[in-house]
Amino acid sequence: MRQEFGRSLDELANIVAFTGRFFESGAADRSLKNVVDLCVEELFVNMLRYNRESVADILIEIGPQDSGVRVSLTDFDVERFDPHDAPPVDVDAPLAEREPGGLGLYLVMKMANAVHYEYRDRVSKITFIADRKDKNAGH
Amino acid sequence: MLDIERRSDGTVVATGRLDAAQAARAQDYLDGIEGACVIDLSALEYISSAGLGVLLRTHKRLLADGGGLKLVNVNAHLCDIFAYSGFDRLFEIVPAQSDGNARS
Repeated sequence: MRQEFGRSLDELANIVAFTGRFFESGAADRSLKNVVDLCVEELFVNMLRYNRESVADILIEIGPQDSGVRVSLTDFDVERFDPHDAPPVDVDAPLAEREPGGLGLYLVMKMANAVHYEYRDRVSKITFIADRKDKNAGH
Repeated sequence: MLDIERRSDGTVVATGRLDAAQAARAQDYLDGIEGACVIDLSALEYISSAGLGVLLRTHKRLLADGGGLKLVNVNAHLCDIFAYSGFDRLFEIVPAQSDGNARS
């Protein structure tokens, strides 16, 4: 499945409906939906905030991958930004040192089983895999 | 969609999805809360980093005045998010009854 979404937070409800249709089709384990929605939201919002020079819609593609789900977000006419380069977050810091913000990409890296980045001709594509296997098991 | 309201016993109840599209409305509501506050999350299906920011900002404001937020009836998915983000060490969290093995 694939669909383009405008560059607005108002599109989040449409994105949730889009992923909902995918899971309702039985193409993947329904228990993965919250993880998929969280990763998609964080990546989509990051694109809105930091790729402000583009007016193009953002393409989201979703499909089954082995025992999980493969999701790609493609942003057009933007600068390179690899989510692996996001600044680290100290989640062990005391309350006085914690400030709102900065957790989005950290959570994607923590909850997705794999994240892949491609950039070519001002097109930025982030692909992640969400799988039933717990990547954080034992941590 | 998010619904947020206060019961007669003072508990704030959040229902639905606390995402980036709903964060500003949730923040506006919680900015009106004073003192120690219990938030019942039993019907909150989903939270993203934007929602975490709302909770953290509110908790810090209330703590500064001797209050704070207590999160109760937290489902397993939300418990995971709170644990990954370190919020389980910043807030008092009571898992939902069916999530007895979740973090507190």
